[in-house]
Amino acid sequence: MSHDELNRRVSAARSETEARGETFYPGPSRVHLAAYPPKERWLDWVELDSRSWPERVEKRYTLVPTTCFNCESACGLLAYVDRDSLQVRKFEGNPEHPGSRGRNCAKGPATLNQIVDPDRILYPLKRVGERGEGKWEQVGWDEALDDIAGRIRTAMVEERHDEVMYHVGRPGEDGFTTRMLAAWGVDGHNSHTNVCSASARVGYNFWMGMDRPSPDHANADVILLVSSHLETGHYFNPHAQRVIEGKKRGAKLIVFDTRLSNTTTHADHWLATYPGSEPAVLLAVASWMIRERKYNRTFVERWWNWREYMTEVHARPDASFEDFEVALEEAYAEYTFDFAAAEAGIPADTIRQVAEVVAGAGTRFSAHNWRSAGSGNLGGWQVARSLTLISALLGALAVEGGTYPSGWNKYVPKPPRSPKRHPRKWNTILWPEEYPLAMHELSFLMPHLMRERGGYVDTYFTRVYNPVWTNPDGFSWIEMLTDASKIGLHVAMTPTWNETAYFADYVLPMGHGSERHDLTSYEQYDGQFIAFRQPVLRTARERMGEKVTDTRQVNPGEVWEENEFWIELTWRIDPDGSMGIREFFESRKHPGQKMTVDEYYGWIFENSVPGLPEAAASEGLSALEYMRRYGAFEVSRKIGPVYEQPVPHDELDDVHVDHEGRVYTRAPVPESPRAAGSNRLEPDADGRRRVGIKIDGDVLKGWPTPSGKLEFWSRTMAEWGWPEVATPTYVRSHVHPSKLDRDQMPLLSTFRVPIQIHTRSGNAKWLDEIAHTNPLWIHPTDAGRLGIEKTGDLVRVETEIGHFVVKAWITQGIRPGVVACSHHMGRWKPEGQPGQRMSMATVALGRSGDTWSLEQKQGGGAFMSDDADTMRIWWTDVGVHQNLTHAVHPDPVSGMHCWHQAVRVRRAEPGDRFGEISVDQEKAQAAYARWLGMTRPASRHSPDGTRRPYWMARPVRPEREAYDLPSPPPVTEAEPAGVE
Amino acid sequence: MSTARPVELIRALGVLAEMPAPEHADIASALGLPAPPSGSEWADLFMFQLHPYASVHLGAEGMLGGDARERVAGFWRAVGRTPPKEPDHLVALLGLYAGLLDEASESSSARGALVFRSAQALLHEHLSPWLFAYLGRVVDLGGDFHRAWGALLREVLSTEAARPGGPETPATHLAEAPALADPRSGNGPDFLAGLLAPVRCGVILTRADLARVAAWADLGLRAGERRYVLEHLLGQDPVAVMRALADLARDAAAGHRADPWAPPDVAAFWAGRAAASAELLTELAAEGARAVVLSGDAS
Repeated sequence: MSHDELNRRVSAARSETEARGETFYPGPSRVHLAAYPPKERWLDWVELDSRSWPERVEKRYTLVPTTCFNCESACGLLAYVDRDSLQVRKFEGNPEHPGSRGRNCAKGPATLNQIVDPDRILYPLKRVGERGEGKWEQVGWDEALDDIAGRIRTAMVEERHDEVMYHVGRPGEDGFTTRMLAAWGVDGHNSHTNVCSASARVGYNFWMGMDRPSPDHANADVILLVSSHLETGHYFNPHAQRVIEGKKRGAKLIVFDTRLSNTTTHADHWLATYPGSEPAVLLAVASWMIRERKYNRTFVERWWNWREYMTEVHARPDASFEDFEVALEEAYAEYTFDFAAAEAGIPADTIRQVAEVVAGAGTRFSAHNWRSAGSGNLGGWQVARSLTLISALLGALAVEGGTYPSGWNKYVPKPPRSPKRHPRKWNTILWPEEYPLAMHELSFLMPHLMRERGGYVDTYFTRVYNPVWTNPDGFSWIEMLTDASKIGLHVAMTPTWNETAYFADYVLPMGHGSERHDLTSYEQYDGQFIAFRQPVLRTARERMGEKVTDTRQVNPGEVWEENEFWIELTWRIDPDGSMGIREFFESRKHPGQKMTVDEYYGWIFENSVPGLPEAAASEGLSALEYMRRYGAFEVSRKIGPVYEQPVPHDELDDVHVDHEGRVYTRAPVPESPRAAGSNRLEPDADGRRRVGIKIDGDVLKGWPTPSGKLEFWSRTMAEWGWPEVATPTYVRSHVHPSKLDRDQMPLLSTFRVPIQIHTRSGNAKWLDEIAHTNPLWIHPTDAGRLGIEKTGDLVRVETEIGHFVVKAWITQGIRPGVVACSHHMGRWKPEGQPGQRMSMATVALGRSGDTWSLEQKQGGGAFMSDDADTMRIWWTDVGVHQNLTHAVHPDPVSGMHCWHQAVRVRRAEPGDRFGEISVDQEKAQAAYARWLGMTRPASRHSPDGTRRPYWMARPVRPEREAYDLPSPPPVTEAEPAGVE
Repeated sequence: MSTARPVELIRALGVLAEMPAPEHADIASALGLPAPPSGSEWADLFMFQLHPYASVHLGAEGMLGGDARERVAGFWRAVGRTPPKEPDHLVALLGLYAGLLDEASESSSARGALVFRSAQALLHEHLSPWLFAYLGRVVDLGGDFHRAWGALLREVLSTEAARPGGPETPATHLAEAPALADPRSGNGPDFLAGLLAPVRCGVILTRADLARVAAWADLGLRAGERRYVLEHLLGQDPVAVMRALADLARDAAAGHRADPWAPPDVAAFWAGRAAASAELLTELAAEGARAVVLSGDAS
């Protein structure tokens, strides 16, 4: 057949297919070469065994995807399970995972170390001596379950629901546990977020009604990172690869970082700002853009709540947009380049250059702040507010190359049998009235609040969380945990020993990333995906034809997964279903039987994930089989500006439009496969629900804020006692030079190293070999001034409540006048307790009066085990636990612990020993009281007699009545100092 | 020779180099080709044996990226298009070629002539210099589908390349490609890299070829990238491996010389490079000196 004839035939076939409305060609993006085993071969993959060389011995694997459980990036992993031995041989990246796209940092492959760690906990343990004494006995799961369930059941029968608490580190899952707590009806969800990201969340939330950013770095022209996101950021690996893609496209990278981090080495503009001055620089950039009219006027006029601002702040309800522009310019006039230069210690010309680069980005400006400056400083939430001010001036929100809000780039599917119930009691320990605007629980204040307010928790779960080590003021935690009048039963759910588990009554062994089920979705690019974490040996055995009904059948020892544990525990709390709890964990297919994890996730995948059943069917699989085989599914991509989408006609019924353009409807909320969002926007006076906002005659979806627009000015903040900071402003940090004594310096204590992640990765030998200690970064000029002669010299670092002794690292990589110490290291185990021998020092804890002490008796070192590598451990220095010497610093608005410390650094004194720590508890309590004094409690500032703005999200939301304060708020009195 | 251009045929042949999808069955059927391959067959050919990228075959490094890819990306920009993520992938290049022909036919005569010249330049500069040699190996190594697909594609492109009016200067990729280094002058690593860079040695050395060399010489074949495999083969028996490689190069030279599809200057280039490689490898085998060949680098 001639080429012409073939051409005609294929043209005709194309026309015919497309005339039917079908696609002839399958589309682009299918051609990329990748260094991954093709997924068609995952079930039976053959590699030559490297150890057998030069013989050609084939090893057969079945490749099972799962999700990393180390940091919050939750990247896709591919476990290579040996088909003969049914052991995991290695972990590599899962190329089917839309967020990480097959790439991993060191922590992913190191999961292998974690699952074979010779020091991990393999069986349930019960305390037999005093709490903290270090005496344990192995018990069966049944005994532990019955004991714990019995206590919880009793608490519930006696209406003491608020005495059950679940304290979680990084959850690494979406929806399972909050659904369970809702089913239990307890307001006991306690997160770690106020020592982590709460500050940034507050800043974003008060602008957008959503609390996390999803920067589209890959398509940006200018990327602005506050801190080292390229190496250690929140979604480190997924974002880092996209930052590099952006740079390869020609994007300019601006980095604010006091340290010479790996990220700054990639920056086009590096600003080593004085700690806490970041908002001053950002506001100077914004101010210049406003003065020079280098902003997106159309966007600002259309989407900012400027009318509300002019009405409420300037009493000019009839003001024009031009009037607002004048007011805006005046409001930011003080933030000149010279002002910012003086605050930040950066030349004004440098800031001007950055401003010009930023203004040139148009809408392709992606920006990110998460912890760092936000979590370090008093008023740190204004970093995210100020950064979003720039994005909002440019119109660079939810557009290609800009920054999306989390809610639109994340997909949480609706689970089966969602409990439609809310706790009846408000937990005043977790949500004290002093912090009505805090996004999350005041978790790190728990020991102080319990002590001060007579709190009692009957059953306290710490779930893969280590507050004694992670939180500031850890000795107060030890005091609380060892006091039976405060903690009735402490259950530590953890794969490995940690400093908190030593003070538990039960230690329950939980699975690592390849030993448990979870469902995740994260805002990592402009798209939505779900990813599945699964026990890989279970799936591997099922591929071989075995039936596995309980993950303990395949996990080492008696290690369990949480999902099955919680289902079993719930059934034992409510064995006959009379409490109305068990029903949420009953099988739909087989009423009266327990729901299995297969049924739970199978239902979600079949019913709540659009497109997944169809994709699975095209390969002859069920949705659950598809997820077990590939581990992830992309629900949608290129979401775009949701706020500009019109509200569908059928959602507009008996519509009411109020004076601010907010549109209310009587139409019910349409059925959706997604889990309901967390915000609860107030209905109108007649009970209609908020459905959108009217802009230029169109009813659009708008933003999930009280105004429906981007909130440059926050009515919530103004009405709840903080009018002076209701717009993006600069709050001087508690480590501002004006607040320090002459011999004090700021200590940056929060920075990560890319190969460790808090306590979770401490049992990975490959990671420990790379990073196992945390010297004090100090600039040569400071070292010279203080008489510190060389790297490795011991120095004493004095905080407001104590001191620690650490080695110095003299480096040009830190701004003069500032010191830094990474918080990843300094793990310890008390003498006589088990623990991680490669990463924990053995210590003696002591107490004399109000003074606690910690003394290192022995560092890490080599030991005999089944793993020959443990005899090759060459390091002994495992760092210093500096957080013990940090007082609590709750920001009065966000509730975030402000991590930066004002310290005095001096050469170690005679007798000072490496790792030594001393803390005065009286000073710790005084510091708590001082910071508490800066708050503006709801009882004096609530505009409506409630404890907290109802529209703001909560993980497990109590019923409406629980929001009411116990008595009407008295008349506002004179204010405490507050933030300046 | 027909003056009408088989644009849809070229586009369809390009799409058929993608990972198999359900739509491919209808396209193959329209072209009278065998049923499309399984994903596994596709991966074997395009991900393990013959990477369908211009940069792999025209770059001095024999790898993805580098100056060769930049040159191709520059062409995309020169014709007013944003380079895709992999601008030198066969699918992308054939799609671009078809797109330019489409645009030429839909434009005014002056604009059309300009675009048409761009299409000719693309064929001459970035497709012909490697694709005939490449498709020859596809036909050697592929299964039923890929043998038929490769044969049809080289026929079509041969017809396209033979149309009058093409550039008369040699393609830049070929004109600037360095020759295979002689390890006796002290650059053993460069020599090894050159053996894996088709444009330098005139041979597309696949994993399957290396496996055959190992079997022929009765040597252990290590699992790994080609360079790693080659180094370890040479480390075991450099003389035998040089001889086997020389034979491969001689066969390749003969194949290029007899290639009825490639433009004569392109065939001559590849045949010359392969013959030179065969000669060098034969000499090295005769000298039989590991130290000379490998400069102590590959053991």
